[in-house]
Amino acid sequence: MLEATNLSKSFGGLQALRQVALRVEAGDSIGIIGPNGAGKTTLFNVLTGELKPDSGQVFLDGMAIDAEPIHERVKLGLARTYQVPRPFADITVRENIRVSMLKDSITFMLKLTWDDEGERQLAESVGFTSQQLEQLPSELAMGDLRKLELARTLATNPKVLLLDEVFAGLTYGEIENISNLLIEYRKSRGTTYLIVSHDLKALEPLVDSVVVIHGGGILKQGTFAEVVNDPEVQDAYLGTG
Amino acid sequence: MSALKTPLQRGIAAWLVFAIVMVVLPHLVGTGVTRSFVFAMYLAIFAISWDVMSGRTGYISFGHPFLIGIGGYTTALLTYHLHWPLYFSIPTAVLMTMIGGTLFFFPALRIRGTYFALVTLAFMELIYGLVQVIAPKVTGGTRGLSGLDSLVTGAIPNYYLALVVLLILGFSMWLLIRTHIGTALSAIGMDEDAVRASGINVTKLKLFTFMLSAFTAGLGGALYVHYLGSIAPRALFDVGFLFQILVACLLGGAGTITGPIAGAFFLTFLLEWLRPYIPGSERFLIYGTFALILYVMQPNGLHELIRLGIKRLGLLAPGRRAS
Repeated sequence: MLEATNLSKSFGGLQALRQVALRVEAGDSIGIIGPNGAGKTTLFNVLTGELKPDSGQVFLDGMAIDAEPIHERVKLGLARTYQVPRPFADITVRENIRVSMLKDSITFMLKLTWDDEGERQLAESVGFTSQQLEQLPSELAMGDLRKLELARTLATNPKVLLLDEVFAGLTYGEIENISNLLIEYRKSRGTTYLIVSHDLKALEPLVDSVVVIHGGGILKQGTFAEVVNDPEVQDAYLGTG
Repeated sequence: MSALKTPLQRGIAAWLVFAIVMVVLPHLVGTGVTRSFVFAMYLAIFAISWDVMSGRTGYISFGHPFLIGIGGYTTALLTYHLHWPLYFSIPTAVLMTMIGGTLFFFPALRIRGTYFALVTLAFMELIYGLVQVIAPKVTGGTRGLSGLDSLVTGAIPNYYLALVVLLILGFSMWLLIRTHIGTALSAIGMDEDAVRASGINVTKLKLFTFMLSAFTAGLGGALYVHYLGSIAPRALFDVGFLFQILVACLLGGAGTITGPIAGAFFLTFLLEWLRPYIPGSERFLIYGTFALILYVMQPNGLHELIRLGIKRLGLLAPGRRAS
């Protein structure tokens, strides 16, 4: 489904990614963990096209997508959420969802009517109440902002979903909500997930396997239990290695 | 008002009222006021042109006189030197504005914020210099060209010509920002990258609205110089002229189309009314101060003041957020 070969990226003297190779089969859910600054978000940025890699290639469904701009990759089914939610601040939850549901065609955009029902359904599918639809992002709690971020991403009908720290800053209740939502969505759509998270406990039920990134390279790959019990991985996290 | 349920229907009704009032108006006022209205309407057309491109996206153009000038100079040169009929020279001028504008402006749409404003301002100053230096025999240099053909003569025919153009352009652009395009443009103004992440080709959208803006500027500019009968670099490529457009938009309420039209009318008549008391350019100081105070008090402009006024009169259903 999604494949990356030999990805490298450096910022000045800092090598953020070194020869990362990754292969994700359709329907897989893979966790990506690693200490701060390991290169997880850089990896996402390279996959989505926000950053150009110094070397290496990205394939989606067997097709090289290196030349595709961000919006084309999204249309091909590769979508992401951001570590820090970035809603459109001046418009309501409903209008935020409205923007994410826009179709990329001038003729299609020349319409004066809106899919109110579709907007409501999408909002409810991530757990918004109908009152919340008319609220501004500034009135939402962190958990709801993550829901909005998720709704906007789901509006693009992703085949591969890159989730960047979806649990950061959430309460236990909110983590459970989002986690259940992701499990349900994957069950019904068969969406492929790549999940970056520092919260290993929250990550465990969501993933089939885990990739550990350290110093820009892949340190370990395996099931959740294999990886967290690996002494090398523990060293990387605790910084004794 | 029970038949007018949606904001769209109420808006169309308001346009109808505006059109009727404007059609009747020249029969009620003198020639002098009619001529002021012609100026107000051309300023409104230029303000619409600015608003389509800059009002929502946050790409603040300081170079719209540049676009208007391409339209104006193209038709002026074609008719003055080559004696083209206006029916050919004006469409050619519009086309030239769209092409010429794209060559200069479109690369600039890659830079954002203040830099975009500065680069577009530089275009205006650049062409101001070029017009005077390159082939001054052809362009008339600093003094420009006068004695240009006119499309129609007399205050009232010119009034109706400007009115028809204003109504068609204004109403279509107003409808346009009510479509999904208007929503997308607002979103670009808030976070362009997030729009891209929703799978929207932002560049294509910006190009589309830029073309509409250039079309409006070129048409308005071409008709304006034939109304004036003359063209000169300092009348067009001028910071004062640019600021009239900007103030009309900001005062009226950027991103609403109707706001900038209201702003253009307000500004023109404010300046006219001040003229007997302060004949010199000091009255621009008064309008500047006035614009500043209004802008600080209500950043969403006259459009928002009028909307709130109507709402207070109970004509608008309560509790609905403007979209």
